[in-house]
Amino acid sequence: MEANGIENLTNPNQEREFIRRHHKHELVDNQCSSTLVKHINAPVHIVWSLVRRFDQPQKYKPFISRCVVKGNMEIGTVREVDVKSGLPATRSTERLELLDDNEHILSIRIVGGDHRLKNYSSIISLHPETIEGRIGTLVIESFVVDVPEGNTKDETCYFVEALIKCNLKSLADISERLAVQDTTESRV
Amino acid sequence: MADICYEDETSACESRPLWSSRKWRIGVQRFRMSPSEMNPTASTTEEEDKSEGIYNKRNKQEEYDFMNCASSSPSQSSPEEESVSLEDSDVSISDGNSSVNDVAVIPSKKTVKETDLRPRYGVASVCGRRRDMEDAVALHPSFVRKQTEFSRTRWHYFGVYDGHGCSHVAARCKERLHELVQEEALSDKKEEWKKMMERSFTRMDKEVVRWGETVMSANCRCELQTPDCDAVGSTAVVSVITPEKIIVANCGDSRAVLCRNGKAVPLSTDHKPDRPDELDRIQEAGGRVIYWDGARVLGVLAMSRAIGDNYLKPYVTSEPEVTVTDRTEEDEFLILATDGLWDVVTNEAACTMVRMCLNRKSGRGRRRGETQTPGRRSEEEGKEEEEKVVGSRKNGKRGEITDKACTEASVLLTKLALAKHSSDNVSVVVIDLRRRRKRHVA
Repeated sequence: MEANGIENLTNPNQEREFIRRHHKHELVDNQCSSTLVKHINAPVHIVWSLVRRFDQPQKYKPFISRCVVKGNMEIGTVREVDVKSGLPATRSTERLELLDDNEHILSIRIVGGDHRLKNYSSIISLHPETIEGRIGTLVIESFVVDVPEGNTKDETCYFVEALIKCNLKSLADISERLAVQDTTESRV
Repeated sequence: MADICYEDETSACESRPLWSSRKWRIGVQRFRMSPSEMNPTASTTEEEDKSEGIYNKRNKQEEYDFMNCASSSPSQSSPEEESVSLEDSDVSISDGNSSVNDVAVIPSKKTVKETDLRPRYGVASVCGRRRDMEDAVALHPSFVRKQTEFSRTRWHYFGVYDGHGCSHVAARCKERLHELVQEEALSDKKEEWKKMMERSFTRMDKEVVRWGETVMSANCRCELQTPDCDAVGSTAVVSVITPEKIIVANCGDSRAVLCRNGKAVPLSTDHKPDRPDELDRIQEAGGRVIYWDGARVLGVLAMSRAIGDNYLKPYVTSEPEVTVTDRTEEDEFLILATDGLWDVVTNEAACTMVRMCLNRKSGRGRRRGETQTPGRRSEEEGKEEEEKVVGSRKNGKRGEITDKACTEASVLLTKLALAKHSSDNVSVVVIDLRRRRKRHVA
């Protein structure tokens, strides 16, 4: 990342400022928290078009097979998520906490389901940056969750981070593909 | 002799594709005509006496003939069995139908071959309590035919694939893995099963990754979303059955269990992340096994090997574990099934249940076989005999009964799994390995 530091609009200080401003979590005992960062070679508006779909997380999240939302896309709306087979869960009930189209921030809280992620809350924010001279997006996702009985904080963070890394990798792949399509179409 | 043998084999091969319901009916008609052609004579009686007198010896000779593709006359006896076989073979070829005894033996050999065309098998597959059906089963009898100047063998393929994340990787394995194994088998001269299977599985794994990047199956719900299918995979437990061996290649937590002399013999070992050697391998690769509703790779996947699941490589590998088991007379049947069965039913319980099914049906089959024998022996025209054997209603019916028994056994196992509250898809294949022996006895 340092090699690209000169060319990036964002730098470690800015990144820390974004985290400080948008990714505050109030931790209580027996909870763990972590923040992950992903650089995507696609403009913010493309990445955001995927992230903001509270009603269709399966557009970029590889572990979700279906999602049903009742009501409008507003704070407090709840979605019922079907999880793909092979994973340690089949359903998750999630509430929309924040959707900011200007600042590109989405926050959700898990309020039910047959998994072991209790009191899970996450925030994902997007920030424009330049990567090797091209417009890109810095994605920051943070979470807080209870440590389940029988597991350690380290294990819990490791597991949740693994899931989020998969989501962010998929988000990058799809966004970059869409960006290429955008470029191709604009040339026509 | 070589030319004649080759011609005979070619003719036999050509006749098989003609198998059809029409052929079946023709066979039935011929069988009906047969009784009117029977003429009891003194020579027939004498022949029967001779056959009975050397019953045991004849069985041995038939078994020997089968293995060597040679014929012999039951009326002759000699301590040098091999040389006798060769001599009789010459006589049969040069003299044609000159000897009633010679003609009578050939159909019996044909019967053995025809019966051994493929093992009897049955399959059952249910969605169970899971939301979607993601299992797949592949059945390919005679998928490889190896032919030399003096012998001809067939290999049979059975595969069970338990998909997760979606169904398309398992569906793809069902369509392609046997073709890859076939290619490897036909190009391999030494029959190095471990390497052949490892190459096949590696190619299958690469294919599903590549395939996922291009065209999506119309049946696959992923098309409605986006074609990012790194998080989809499948188990694969595959068995190739040859006249001499049972080869099993396993990747994941489906399982193959042989029933030998009433005892359950596992031919595969489940790939669970907390199996000590698997745990070591994963950790050495930089991965981690976390107990999250059971042992899971990265806390996510409950098996340590799978086809697909690109996002979990190299921790989750597609390398199969291969076992090669010599066939014996004590082998009764083979069960291939997904963990939807094995998670709730022990190997021993499964074998006991299947054994009861097959033994009940097998008894009935044996009686029919015995009934047929005298009629077949008295036939004078070899060609009619051959046609009858190929299309015989009795023969076909016996096959149907045995296949039905295997299917019933499979269905019973799936029902047992559901009764024991299996929470997964359940797929079961039962393969009867006894038929050849029964035929000899009959």
